[in-house]
Amino acid sequence: MKLKQEFIAYDTDGLSMLVPTGSAGFAGLVQGNRTLGVILSLLQSETTEAEVVAAMLARFDAPEDVIARDVRRVIDALRGVGALDE
Amino acid sequence: MTDTYRFADTVVAVDALYPAVHAYCSAYRCTGTPALTVRITQADIDAERRKSADEDRAEGRPVHAFADDYLETLAVYRKIAEWMPQRDTVLLHGSAVAVDGAAYLFTAKSGTGKSTHTALWQAAFGSRAVMINDDKPLLRIAPDSVTVFGTPWDGKHRRSSNCAAPLHAMCILERAAQTQVVPISASQAMPLLLQQVYRPADPVALAATLRLLDRLTQTVPLYRMGCNMAPSAAEIAYEAMKG
Repeated sequence: MKLKQEFIAYDTDGLSMLVPTGSAGFAGLVQGNRTLGVILSLLQSETTEAEVVAAMLARFDAPEDVIARDVRRVIDALRGVGALDE
Repeated sequence: MTDTYRFADTVVAVDALYPAVHAYCSAYRCTGTPALTVRITQADIDAERRKSADEDRAEGRPVHAFADDYLETLAVYRKIAEWMPQRDTVLLHGSAVAVDGAAYLFTAKSGTGKSTHTALWQAAFGSRAVMINDDKPLLRIAPDSVTVFGTPWDGKHRRSSNCAAPLHAMCILERAAQTQVVPISASQAMPLLLQQVYRPADPVALAATLRLLDRLTQTVPLYRMGCNMAPSAAEIAYEAMKG
């Protein structure tokens, strides 16, 4: 899976966001902290949920189950707004 | 039929199917070599009709039955707004008024009272205040300054001028019992600004728009104002933002 071209990951002033183009079916925003920003950056190229979890584990000092839960939550949210090519 | 207009210092040729758009834009007519030519087809008008109907359904409103010539005015501005980021220019939904030559831009969710508030400015400041655009101004965002331009797309009250002014401050408007103005950070402003700016369909143009919004929030003082619609709200806002 990867982010669709119609969605742009955007970081500003400590805020991470996923911004849809005017042609995307979703007109809102997905906002979050640095964790969202890192996950969005990983989804710029083709990957899997397991690979995202592994990359996050290498980057953040947190238990695997916590990271896996956070990744799942973000991916579900992205899937819900139609932002993923799968 | 084709005619030529100047929007945000850019000469635009508009090749339209109906005369209404040319009457709508008549105050901006000019001569010169166009940097952009906008050609409208029936497919563009049909796309506007679908988009309008989708928005009505999403908001739970009855679907409007707009005439083709009105929808064509929207299609023309969409094509212009789609192209403008390459000129460091974006469309931002808001009401812009200038006092003593300095512009103040109010943005908010629809129905909050942007137009009502800027009408208070005109009442409070009289001939010192000029309504630049009450709905969809263009903003040219240079590295160290931002200029607000009037456009014909100025909302249901048709309040605008074919003029430009440097943007002195930008304010997110909210309804509140008491008027209060506070400075806010870029991260506090950005979620709403991203909802109010025109988001191009082209990812490259959207990326340029995001870079311009970053520049805008670093260049112009940002405020949040909770306000009622008492006449004193205009002077309170002006005193807080004039610097």
